[in-house]
Order: sequence, then structure tokens, then C-alpha cells
Amino acid sequence: MRLYSASSEETLRARKLLTDWVGEGFLTTAQYQLLEKETVSDLRTTNIFLRLVLFLFTLISVGAAVALFFKVFLSRPSDQTVGVFLLIFTTVCYTAAEVAVSQARLYRYGVEEALAVCSVGFLCAGMQAALFGGRPYSSTPDAAQSLVPAAGAAFSLWIWLRFGRSYAFLAAMVFVVFLPGYWTSSHSAQHLMVAAFYAIGLVGMVVVRSRHRFDYLDEGYSLVEALLWLGIYAAINLKLSSLDMPTPWWSGTRAASEFARPIYWTTWVLIWCLPPIVLARGIRKKDRFVIAVGAIVAVLTFVTNKPYLGWPRHTWDPMLLGILLSGVALFIRRWLARGPGGIRHGFTAVRLSGKDKHWMNAGSAMLGLVSPHSITPGPQTSSPDVRFGGGHSGGGGASGEF
Amino acid sequence: MPGCRHGIRGPESEVFMTILTRLEQWKEESKISPEQHDHLAGLSRGEPFSLFLELNVLLYAGVLAFVAGLGWTVSTWSQQLGDIVVLTVLSTILGACTWYCFSRAPAWSPAETPAPSPIFDYVLYLGSLVWLVELAYLENRFHLLSGKLDPYLLATAGLFFFLAYRFDNRFVLSLGLSSLAGWFGLTISHWSGHQDATYRQCALLYCLLVGGGGALLDRRGLKPHFFGTYLNIVANVLFWAVLSGVFERQGYGLWFFALLVACAASLAWGLARRQFAFVAYAAVYGYVGVSSMFLRGVTDETVVLSYFVVTGVATLVVLVQIGRRFGRPA
Repeated sequence: MRLYSASSEETLRARKLLTDWVGEGFLTTAQYQLLEKETVSDLRTTNIFLRLVLFLFTLISVGAAVALFFKVFLSRPSDQTVGVFLLIFTTVCYTAAEVAVSQARLYRYGVEEALAVCSVGFLCAGMQAALFGGRPYSSTPDAAQSLVPAAGAAFSLWIWLRFGRSYAFLAAMVFVVFLPGYWTSSHSAQHLMVAAFYAIGLVGMVVVRSRHRFDYLDEGYSLVEALLWLGIYAAINLKLSSLDMPTPWWSGTRAASEFARPIYWTTWVLIWCLPPIVLARGIRKKDRFVIAVGAIVAVLTFVTNKPYLGWPRHTWDPMLLGILLSGVALFIRRWLARGPGGIRHGFTAVRLSGKDKHWMNAGSAMLGLVSPHSITPGPQTSSPDVRFGGGHSGGGGASGEF
Repeated sequence: MPGCRHGIRGPESEVFMTILTRLEQWKEESKISPEQHDHLAGLSRGEPFSLFLELNVLLYAGVLAFVAGLGWTVSTWSQQLGDIVVLTVLSTILGACTWYCFSRAPAWSPAETPAPSPIFDYVLYLGSLVWLVELAYLENRFHLLSGKLDPYLLATAGLFFFLAYRFDNRFVLSLGLSSLAGWFGLTISHWSGHQDATYRQCALLYCLLVGGGGALLDRRGLKPHFFGTYLNIVANVLFWAVLSGVFERQGYGLWFFALLVACAASLAWGLARRQFAFVAYAAVYGYVGVSSMFLRGVTDETVVLSYFVVTGVATLVVLVQIGRRFGRPA
């Protein structure tokens, strides 16, 4: 099913690991040069920046070419005609992506990825235009129209399986979000259906992953599992995914009116149960992405708990959260450091990979530029109400008013 | 295929070697020592599993959330709490952070210096952010400089540059660059005349100052690892400024020429130093600028779309050639 051979991908992985290890001093340069010769892959790769630019220009070229086709060859086409031609372009783009991989051996090169993405976009637009174009808008759910997101989800899953790009799986998850809206108008049922879809995917992923613990597929599967956990959490946390989220965030007065009480309070219990479960699985499997999602959903639970309970938020809540986060980080670091060799239960706080340092350097420079704007306080109003603002001209908050 | 006896079956029943079987083979062939094998095999299996990145992200998020809450609380409750309480709390945190950093810091070195403790960088960052909150509070409550924020921003930028170089901290360096940009922007806003043109000139001056300063410090060997941060910020500000000139209705010729020069310089630098972010800047900003020139006044949709097809494919071909000759996975 996969376009790339297992040995090619495993060889690329081995090559990356060698680069990392020689950078950390675990291998000598002479050893690296010797072993590098044994990890030559037939796949053509590029660096992340060229990949992004190639992706962008492929999108521009394909989009402009399709638009030019409609402009030159079709004057005032019907929706059905547009749809049929878009479906033809779906086939053309997908075939081009397959050829780019099978003939040019492109691997995470941007070009084949953009072609695959275009094929998904054209499929959905084409199906919508061909099957449902010209239909008047109706507020009542129409199950037949779910065919479009269903096809989008299925095709995205195929792209994920075939090309191995995890963002295609994320696209499939996004398509799934739209499905229940065509089947029922009940928000509770929609949330439950989405969570059920993701849960089924999660069970399947857990079963499949167990066979690929130490091979090239593990990282991709790990990311997909983490996305599914995050998706389940987002579906069951009604204060996170509900469209009128800002109201309870600021006033804290709105409660369970939109959802049936049993469902509302069941989801409240679940948002407290899920973080420890996710964290426990991530820690047990030593899975970086799942641990990260566990931490994220734990923070989200703290942040959304008050709106859930209808309690008012306080201005010092972020301070308490900050103290909690820093305290947990410091405690874990010290606890690990006190273990023999700085290791406890197979975990360490010491940096073992050059990638970590690279991410830290890039992140610190970028976040340092962004953060002053996000924390700048605004002026006080007559009542002690909640208010954000300020942060002019990148002045690190010095231009805010009190 | 050498080593197939160690291979495992993949999803398509294809036999391939995992990194563990490769390490085993390399050990048997004496290409790596048994100690190296044990260590590298352990790393491949996640034994030990490093939480370095996760703990750092948690600390960063903690500091940011704390200061956000602090600023929010101060701005909301300042009248109820009173100036003395607010300033005492802020000054205490600031003083504690300052004391911690100066008492723990190792002797200064112009080279890259590791932080003396895992939390050191975050304490410094916390102190810097609290300084910003306190400064804003002081000015807005007491109007020490009659609402003129320029001197504050310039002084703050200077302070952050000093702290960044003293303690080797990229977070604070970025704060300094951000504050300096804020000072330039705020100063210009007081000037009369054509604002867009003035802002553009100001951005160029900022690029000249920051780029020149960064290059000078790099040549002197003062924290040369900071140079990448300077260059990336300068490149983006410069391209935005020049592009805004290209978009002008009149007098854009010089700006277009400047854009071409900037793109050529960025491309040359990126290829020479294998820093492909600069190749990407040249491609994207250059394409936007050149497209705006060529399509200026063109209203025929067919021409516009044809332009994007031809130039898009041409750019792709050039980038693929660059990728073949120079591009290695980052």
C-alpha cells in the first residue's frame, strides 16, 4: 500500500540518527563517514525550507493552471460541468503525485505533497459542485451531502497510507468533524459521534502500532495516535469546542443549557479522566507526542474547568497555572536528577539529542519576539472586570496603560 | 542485501533492517565498539528517554502564564491594591530574579556559555518580563516622562541587549530586538510627513543598525551564535520594507531594484552558508515583488493566470535545481 519501500525509509531514518549521534559526540567523524556509506537511500529529499517553498509554488502553479483551464476552455459552465472537470483534475494531480514518487523518487520534497493535497481539495470541490451544485441552502441536516466530507476523509486517509504524511491524517480528522452535522442537528450527538469515530481510529492505531515499536513507522504512528487523543479530548470538552466559547470564558455564568445535563456532566468527568490516561500511556510507551498531548489536555482541563462549572474566572488564575506548570517541571527535573546517573525508571532530564537543542534555539528566538505582545496588560476599567489589550509596536508591553 | 539475517518483515512483508539490527551488524563488523553499541541501541529504544525538551517547554509556558496573570491582575486591580502593594510585589520579584541571575552566573565569556542551572534562562526571562510590566505601570501611573515612551523603549532595549550578552540568552536578545523595533516605530509616529515612506526608511535604518551591529559583534567574536537571530530578523524586516516600496504607485523603480539586490544577496548567502531559510526568503519575497511589477495594471484574467502558471513552474524548476545541487535535508 505504501509508495516507499520499508528499506528506503528505514535507511533514511538510520542516516538521520547517524547525523544526530555524530553531532552529540556518540560517534567519531571517521565512524560517521564509514557508516554513512552504508545508509545511502534511493529517495530524493531536501531540507525543510526548500520543501515548504516547493510546496507553495506547486500549489500556485496547479491552482493557476486549473483556473486558466476553466477560463480558456469553459465559458459560463454549469456546476455539474465544473464538478466533472474538477474530478478529472483530481485524477491528474493524484497521478502526478504518484509519478513524482515512483519515477523521480521524491520523498518529503514538497512537490508531490502539494499535488496530493490539491487532489484532495479538487475531489471535495468537484463532488460538491457535481452532486450538490445549485441546491438551495437548507438549515436542516441533509445526510446525502455528508458524501463530500466522507469522501474527503477517505481520500485523505488513503493519502496518509500511501504517502505516509501525518498531516493527511489530520485532514481526515477535520473532515470527520463535519460529518455528524449532516446527520443530526443535536450538538450532543455530534460531539459523541466525532469522539466515537476518533476512538475507533485510536483502537485501530494502538493495535497496528504494537508491531512497529522500533522501526521507521513508529514516529508517524505516534503522531497519529497523539492527534487522535487530542481529537477525542477536543470532541468531549464542550467548553473547548462549543462555538459560543467566549461567553463562559469571560462571564462564567453560562452553564449546561445547550447540552443535556447527563451528557454535560459526563463530559466534565471525562475531561478530568482523559489527561491522566493519556499521560500514563505516553509515559509507559515512552512516546514523546502522546506525552505532549497528555500535558496539553491536562492544561486545557485546568483552563476550562471553571467555565464548565459556571464559576467566574479570576485574573490571577494564569498566575496559579504558571506556578503549577513551573513547579511540576522543577519537581520532575530534580526528581530525575537525583536518580542514579540522573535516570529514574528509564527517564532523564538530560539532553540526549542535538534536535532538542536546535528546537530550543529556534523556539527561544522566535517566542522571545512574540511573547511580549501576548502578555501585555490593558487599562483598568471602573469595575474589576476582565480585559486584555495594549502591546503597541512590539514594545514589550511598555506601551500598555493602567 | 547484507545483514538480511537480522532483518524483520515490514508492512508489505518486505525484509528490512531496523536501526537496532544495523547497530548489531556494525558491532559485529567492529565498526563501532560494544560500548557504543549498547549506548546507541539504548537511545534507539528510548532507554533512557530524555524529557529535556518537554520540561523546558513546561517551564517556558509556566513563566509566560505567570507573567500574563501578573499583568492582568495588576491592570485590573491596581486601584484596589494601591501603588505601594503593586510596586512592592513587582520589585520583589524583579529583585529576586536579578539577585538569582547575578549570583549564579559564571564568569563572562565571548563564546557560547551553557546556563549554570536548568532554570537560569527562565528566571532571567521572568525578570525581564516583570521589568516590562513594572515599567509600564510606573509610567502610566506616575507619568514620569509625560507619556513619552520612546526613552523607555530605548533604555529597555539597551538593558535587554546587555542582559542577553551577559547571560547568553536568546529569549532576552529577542526581547531587546523587539523593544528596539518598537522604539523606532514609536519615534517615527511622532514625525510629520508621509508615514509609509517614513516607516520604510525607519525599517531600513533598523536593518542597518541591527544587521551592522550583529555583523560587527560576530566579527569581534562576541557571542557569534547570536548572529543567526540578527540575520533572520533583519532579512524579514528588510524584505517587508522593500516590498512595501515596490507596492507604491509612484517611485517604485528604485525599490524594485533594491528588492532584486536583496534577493540576490539573500540567495547567495543562503547557498554559500547552506542556510536555506534565506533561499526561501529570496524565492517568496522576490516572487511577490516581481509579480506585483509584472502584473501592475494588468486586468486580463487569462494573462494573470498564464503568468502564474509559467512563473510558478519556472520557479519550481529553478528551486528543484538548487535543491539538487545544494539542498541537503536539514
